[in-house]
Amino acid sequence: MSITSIVYKKELLDIFRDKKTLVAAILIPFLLYPIMFGFMGKGIKGTTSFMEKEDGIEIAMIDNDDSEIGEIIKAQKNIKIKESDNMLEDVKAGKLLLGIEIPQGFDENIATEQEANITIVFDNTSQKSNMVMSYINEIIDQYSKDIVTRRLENKKIDTNILNPINTVTKSPEKEESGFGKLMLSLMLPMMLVIFASSGPIASAVDLGAGEKERGTLEPLLTTQASRMSLLWGKFLAITTMGIITSLAFIGGLAISMKTSPEAFGYGVEGTTFALEPKALIIIAVITILLTMVFGALALAISIYARSFKEAQTYLTPLSFIGMIGFTSYFIEPKNMSTVFLHIPIVNTVAIIKELTLGIFNITHLAIVFIWMFIYIGLSIAFARYMFSKEEVIFRT
Amino acid sequence: MIVVKGLSKKFKDVEAVKDISFTVNDGEIVGLLGENGAGKTTTLRMLATMLKPTKGTAFINDYSIIEEPQKVRKEIGILFGGEVGLYDRLTARENIEYFGKLNSMDEKDMKDSINELIDKFQMEEYIDRRVGKFSRGMKQRVAIARSIVHQPTVMLFDEPTTGLDVTAAKIVHDFILQCREEGKSIIFSSHSMQEVERLSDRIIIIHKGSIMDEGTIDYFKKKYEKDNMEDIFIQLVGEKR
Ligand SMILES: Nc1ncnc2c1ncn2[C@@H]1O[C@H](COP(=O)(O)OP(=O)(O)OP(=O)(O)O)[C@@H](O)[C@H]1O
Ligand SMILES: [Mg+2]
Repeated sequence: MSITSIVYKKELLDIFRDKKTLVAAILIPFLLYPIMFGFMGKGIKGTTSFMEKEDGIEIAMIDNDDSEIGEIIKAQKNIKIKESDNMLEDVKAGKLLLGIEIPQGFDENIATEQEANITIVFDNTSQKSNMVMSYINEIIDQYSKDIVTRRLENKKIDTNILNPINTVTKSPEKEESGFGKLMLSLMLPMMLVIFASSGPIASAVDLGAGEKERGTLEPLLTTQASRMSLLWGKFLAITTMGIITSLAFIGGLAISMKTSPEAFGYGVEGTTFALEPKALIIIAVITILLTMVFGALALAISIYARSFKEAQTYLTPLSFIGMIGFTSYFIEPKNMSTVFLHIPIVNTVAIIKELTLGIFNITHLAIVFIWMFIYIGLSIAFARYMFSKEEVIFRT
Repeated sequence: MIVVKGLSKKFKDVEAVKDISFTVNDGEIVGLLGENGAGKTTTLRMLATMLKPTKGTAFINDYSIIEEPQKVRKEIGILFGGEVGLYDRLTARENIEYFGKLNSMDEKDMKDSINELIDKFQMEEYIDRRVGKFSRGMKQRVAIARSIVHQPTVMLFDEPTTGLDVTAAKIVHDFILQCREEGKSIIFSSHSMQEVERLSDRIIIIHKGSIMDEGTIDYFKKKYEKDNMEDIFIQLVGEKR
């Protein structure tokens, strides 16, 4: 058995027996999204669900003539009319979601084709009030369209005059899957980069600075194992943990899409997130390569630190670097500048985005893969340098 | 056998060890005595090939610490004070096995060696339990067993009893004496005069990186015409202040 595999096995055994690292590397990543999106989904549901409930919308209405539009609004099952002496005050205080004032002679004005006004009082700082406002507006809009149609018919004018242009939409993707792809191309690159950058941290802290703090580093360095084989064993163990963490995140994300679709915007339920197997494999490989880069960097930094605490402090910025993944919102793969392909991390984001959209640009892939191997080479060289420096190993 | 020749180590602006030379024979215990910052740990780390000397060299059983560090590491066992240096989540056996494997022992030799050590240090009761909850004494035995699993012929101890209570310290002292019995060459560093006097065949007094004097206890007592090693040490170190 080679020294590297001895070290690798021991480190994984050690990590898997550590509840703390397991919680940080597997449990939290796995639960984070279901919990986060669960709350978000509940919140979104909570703010919208009152609209559908019977008598869920409490408003006041002044309508002395019992106008036609007033009757339509009253007839809505989800609307409940309450009394109010001062609508503005009551809306402001949150007692009412909205107030409507329909002046006397409203129906008459409409019949005689004169100007007809409705006053609506709503709280523009309340999300609920705003929602009710647009709901009522829709009802009024529909009513006014009906009136226009009636008037045109009276004058024997074809109602098509109101629709001079008719639009028909066509997209290369079926409508639902197009939306799914868009969502996926925004979220997946960002998430994967964040996972790759933060996944290796927990175990890197333990495998680098942890050895110093426990006093195991000195005995370890006096065994026949070369520093490089120690480094490789640790590096591979950290990468493995990083990949497991990414998988936990992805698993959690998949679950939360099922359990809280509201949080992802409407329409996610029915959409398919299927990726071509080819794209899936390439994306997985790229994520693993990026995890390796961050794994080697994390190990190099961790061995420099004197203690767990210090290592944690130094390594936190590494996960901020992963936040560069947010650039996936700005990159438009179909006509992006090739400069992006030469910027670290941004190129990973760009290529994953391309792949999720089903683009296989061999030149782009080649460029990014070459860069990935350069990054891995550099980061391992850095870790190796740190492992060989006395000032780093015996930093006091 | 340890032969040290003009060994020096400079950290940026600190000359931690300055041109020291000495020899340790098989079956001999040499005590390295010095104040804080005298250069004891640095010397032992160089002998253990963890640090590269700036000048000079040393030979462990004729292997150069500079040219053949890997071979040197096969010959040496270390027990450094402070933290015991065990993996809490591994069992005692796993801890010892890990170091056996890293020292390229084959499965059978390692099993035999570990069984012998279990007997020798009475660890059968807890050998397959995780180290995390062990008492300091138990941990000490495991650390000792770990340091000799690969059957080294040279032992380096750096303040091996710091922070230990009397019982745990006795385990270490007995172990050092046992190593001598087995014919190993032994260096141990300490700032406890008592400990050094009790265990050492020869004493090296090191101060600010240089060797002030070396010899047997009798040699020191005759030369400095004092009966108390402590006074002799203070005199030697004091002169240089
Ligand atoms: N890695 C290092 N980098 C810089 N200076 C160091 C390093 N290690 C030791 N020194 C310095 O070298 C000198 C000798 O230190 P060393 O640890 O060898 O002394 P020591 O005799 O072991 O002391 P102690 O009894 O406190 O353990 C000290 O001045 C120390 O500050
Ligand atoms: Mg010391």
